[in-house]
Amino acid sequence: MNKKKGSNKTLTLPIRINIVFFAVFFIFAILIIQLALLQIVDGRKFAMELSRTNEVVVENSVPRGKIFDRFGKNIVDNEPVYAITYTKQQRTTNEEMLKTAKKLADIIEMDTSKVRERNIEDYWLAKYPKKAAKLLTKEELIKIDEDLLTNQLAEAYQRERIPKSEIEKIRSNELEICTIFNAFKNGYALSPQIVKNSGVTFEELSIVNEHLAELPGINTTTDWNRVYPFDKTLKSVLGKVTTTTEGLPKEKADYYRSLGYSRNDRVGKSFLELQYENILRGEKEKTINVTDKAGNIIQTQETIPGKRGKDLVLTVDVELQQAVEQIVTEELLKQKQNPKNSLLDRAFVVLMNPNTGEILTLAGKQYQINPDTKQPEINDMALGTFTTSYNMGSAVKGATVLTGYDTGAIAPRQHQYDTPLFFKGTAKPKKSWERMGDIDDLYALKRSSNVYMFLTAIAIGGGKYVENGPLDINPDAFRIMRNHYNQFGLGVRTGIDLPGEQIGYKGIVNMKEPGTLLDLAIGQFDTYTTLQLCQYISTIGNGGKRIQPHILKEIREPEANEKLGPLLTQVKPTVLNKIHNTDEQIARVQEGLRQVTQEPRGTAVGTFGSAPYKPAGKTGTAESFYDGPNKEMKMEPTMNITFASYAPNVNPEIAMSVVVPWAYQDDKGHHMNLEIAKRVYDTYFALKAQRGIQ
Amino acid sequence: MSENIDEMNVGSKIAFGQMALVFLLGTFSFMAIYSAQQASKYSDNFILKQSIFYIIGFIIAFIVMQFDSERLKKACWYLYGFGIFLLALLLIAPDSIAKPINGAKCWFRIAGISLQPSEFMKIFLIITLAHIIQQHHTKFEVRTLKTDLVLLGKLIGLTLIPIAFIMQQPDLGTSIVFIAILIGMTFISGITYRLLLPIIAIGTGLIGLIFYYVLQAPEVLEKYLGVDPYQFNRIYSWLDPYNYPSDSGYQLVRSLMAIGSGEISGKGMSGRQVFLPEAHSDFVFSIIGEEFGFIGASIVVILFFLLIYSWTRIALETKNEFNAYICVGVISMMTFHVFQNIGMTIGVLPITGIPLPFVSYGGSSLWGSMMALGLIFSIRYHHRVYMFSTRA
Repeated sequence: MNKKKGSNKTLTLPIRINIVFFAVFFIFAILIIQLALLQIVDGRKFAMELSRTNEVVVENSVPRGKIFDRFGKNIVDNEPVYAITYTKQQRTTNEEMLKTAKKLADIIEMDTSKVRERNIEDYWLAKYPKKAAKLLTKEELIKIDEDLLTNQLAEAYQRERIPKSEIEKIRSNELEICTIFNAFKNGYALSPQIVKNSGVTFEELSIVNEHLAELPGINTTTDWNRVYPFDKTLKSVLGKVTTTTEGLPKEKADYYRSLGYSRNDRVGKSFLELQYENILRGEKEKTINVTDKAGNIIQTQETIPGKRGKDLVLTVDVELQQAVEQIVTEELLKQKQNPKNSLLDRAFVVLMNPNTGEILTLAGKQYQINPDTKQPEINDMALGTFTTSYNMGSAVKGATVLTGYDTGAIAPRQHQYDTPLFFKGTAKPKKSWERMGDIDDLYALKRSSNVYMFLTAIAIGGGKYVENGPLDINPDAFRIMRNHYNQFGLGVRTGIDLPGEQIGYKGIVNMKEPGTLLDLAIGQFDTYTTLQLCQYISTIGNGGKRIQPHILKEIREPEANEKLGPLLTQVKPTVLNKIHNTDEQIARVQEGLRQVTQEPRGTAVGTFGSAPYKPAGKTGTAESFYDGPNKEMKMEPTMNITFASYAPNVNPEIAMSVVVPWAYQDDKGHHMNLEIAKRVYDTYFALKAQRGIQ
Repeated sequence: MSENIDEMNVGSKIAFGQMALVFLLGTFSFMAIYSAQQASKYSDNFILKQSIFYIIGFIIAFIVMQFDSERLKKACWYLYGFGIFLLALLLIAPDSIAKPINGAKCWFRIAGISLQPSEFMKIFLIITLAHIIQQHHTKFEVRTLKTDLVLLGKLIGLTLIPIAFIMQQPDLGTSIVFIAILIGMTFISGITYRLLLPIIAIGTGLIGLIFYYVLQAPEVLEKYLGVDPYQFNRIYSWLDPYNYPSDSGYQLVRSLMAIGSGEISGKGMSGRQVFLPEAHSDFVFSIIGEEFGFIGASIVVILFFLLIYSWTRIALETKNEFNAYICVGVISMMTFHVFQNIGMTIGVLPITGIPLPFVSYGGSSLWGSMMALGLIFSIRYHHRVYMFSTRA
């Protein structure tokens, strides 16, 4: 067969086979050499790299501190809620999460009502990554690689292109798995995420616990919900806590993170819960896990037990608060029946201890028509006591008289002649509600003379009243009067320990209208909050000390049972400043305020003349302009009625401000301010007597 | 009497040495797959399936062994045609029987069994090329540059057809295996060095040039060749896996850490600490390197080397050129598989998804390798008979 060339060929073939084998040998030698380099030369390095570990801290939430009223009544409590949680590992894949979600869905009932289209899309994209990849065209894929198309946009395309039938299929068959999967996805690695915490039945909990081994990452814990034994009472002031889904508020996330919070921690979102977040937050239970470089947990090193947040004891008397809220509600509803009071929709009451600044009650109610039911309802507006401001009218006259004394514009017992004042260029006279003739300072307070205050203000401004003459005053008078008012808390922050306090609006000073100085003197130019009014009257009642109001009384260690724990901190009264007047001057005004409620012809004597608790106070009726929710009636002239008071008139124990904005439209109307005040005092002293007997 | 002799010879006709080597590789396969299964949350029982694959694989090898060279030559065109038919069918097959996996459509999936036609096509190609070379030499006893060129054209043409189909899937790794077979068999076909040397020079130059452009000026390739720049990623991530945050870079870093930290004697069975995707299939060697260390890893390399050594001996001993070509084809295929697969896990080559023969989990790959083994067995099985006949 092979003759000539055969020998040649049979020689070529073995040589080439040998060459091939030599190449094979060479290639295998490369492999062995590289293996030796990797495993023998560099082996130690890799092994050490691998043995380097990380500590990862896993935290479990603890209940927040409770909130009590001044008598130890529990206002805000925690309710244990069984929760099923999921903890992602650093390298948990979608596939693993889907698997666990599917198993979990078989065991537990999930509320699927909150699933949105987007969640279903997320689920679909995770479940069918290949189908999802196919939703993008080749050009788009290239664009992604070239950074011409952002991943977000690419994902948006994918979402748009998911067939509707697929979404519907999930909606009808796999909604529970989808809900659970989305809960898993929301979590952060190594931080337990709540999958279900409402309506977890004990059976569910037991079944899940039995199957924990098959459900990697799943755990059962106890989460906490805030409960309010007094329902809506003071609720707006108590504030809110974020949900686990909300986690840290976005705008403050960095701040909280720096304090060691996790992103899905629940924190105080508003008012008291926000203000005292650092006290109410507990110390989380910490488990330190040691992980290798790959993120696998090697061992659980130790568990630091957590501690419930500290408890707050408020200055508020919740029983009184409830009663006052009830009174305000009833009075509002009563006066709303009169069509003349159509603009009336709100009323506020602040009760505080004038010596310590302890807030006993912050009550505010608003009359609203429910947009759904069209039925009227009364809603909580307690926040309005320090976040909304109004013209307070004559109630501020105590401050005007004391300013007059201090500036030397008037002296105690000084007489002035109350008759309508006429100024050049203005047709309408500036006058009191009645012509009072020759009166002294006490009478001016008792009968609420405007003219006495006007003349005092003109004197403060260095001017002199000439009938039909120009009103010529020093422009600095506004500053002087406002500075004095500030000493009483009018127009400045009272310093209450709640966020969001407003200071009111200052009227714009225009020297072409010097008459506004006269308005300022009778509380019809600048606006003040109900809380400021209460601080002002307390300052007079306690003999001249401006006291910082506070709602926190004590901080206490958490206690396992319902009782209060050991005292940690007690809030002490803070005197912000003392007013510039002598004791006699203050006593003079105190007497004037006593006569308002206790002497014949006093403006509130009809209400308080026979009251055994002997209050002092000042009524106010301010001509004002409507600025409420009814936009059509904006700037409509209306009357604010107010009352600032303390009782008893000697060594007062309670100070009160009542503000009823836009009470009525006519010149004369109801006295809801006084009726509320009377009923509140009656309730306060009745409660006191009742407690004294106990 | 003659029957007796035949029976006696049956024993020596079976390559027990090679079988032992394959059994040892199989042992590593089971240990590594067992370990991969421990760590992952796959619900499939890979061990059980791989056992079944092995049993079927040996049956395939013994069936293939029954064919002698003459029958193979006769069957080769049918096999080649059948292989191309399967590859073509794969392209047009609906998703229900050929579901794309990771974007590549390489598999038939029927009744829970996956089949990768390209794995079998390799063997069919080897047989066909061997047949073509032998036929050519019979036809042209006097070889000239021209006849060599014709042969080269035939070999390249026959190899490019399956590659064209496989690149549609797309499956770069497997395509390169075909090229490796082509190179090995072209070399062994006896084509003169006057042709081979320029081809080798041009080939090396081209690869060098492409690498230069990939690294220095990828935009040129992109502009003139229309190559997607993301194709280069695997090269970048191979050269600098620590700074190249891509999937393949990540895999390489993990794989280096796994194998490197195995050190000399390894961490012991199931003692691995580094977890890799696809650890039971393409990255099975990283498990072996980590758990059995340098000793275990080099044993596996040596097992392959011994296997290829015994095939080389068969190639040298056989008097049948056709069989020698087959041997070299199988050697080329195996060598490339082993070099590429192990090489990528230890950073010698870029990552391409091809399995480690006899060790990686998977039916098609194993059966392809078993077919190759069967071809070699068949040479030995029918060898003595042939020797007797020539002697007589």
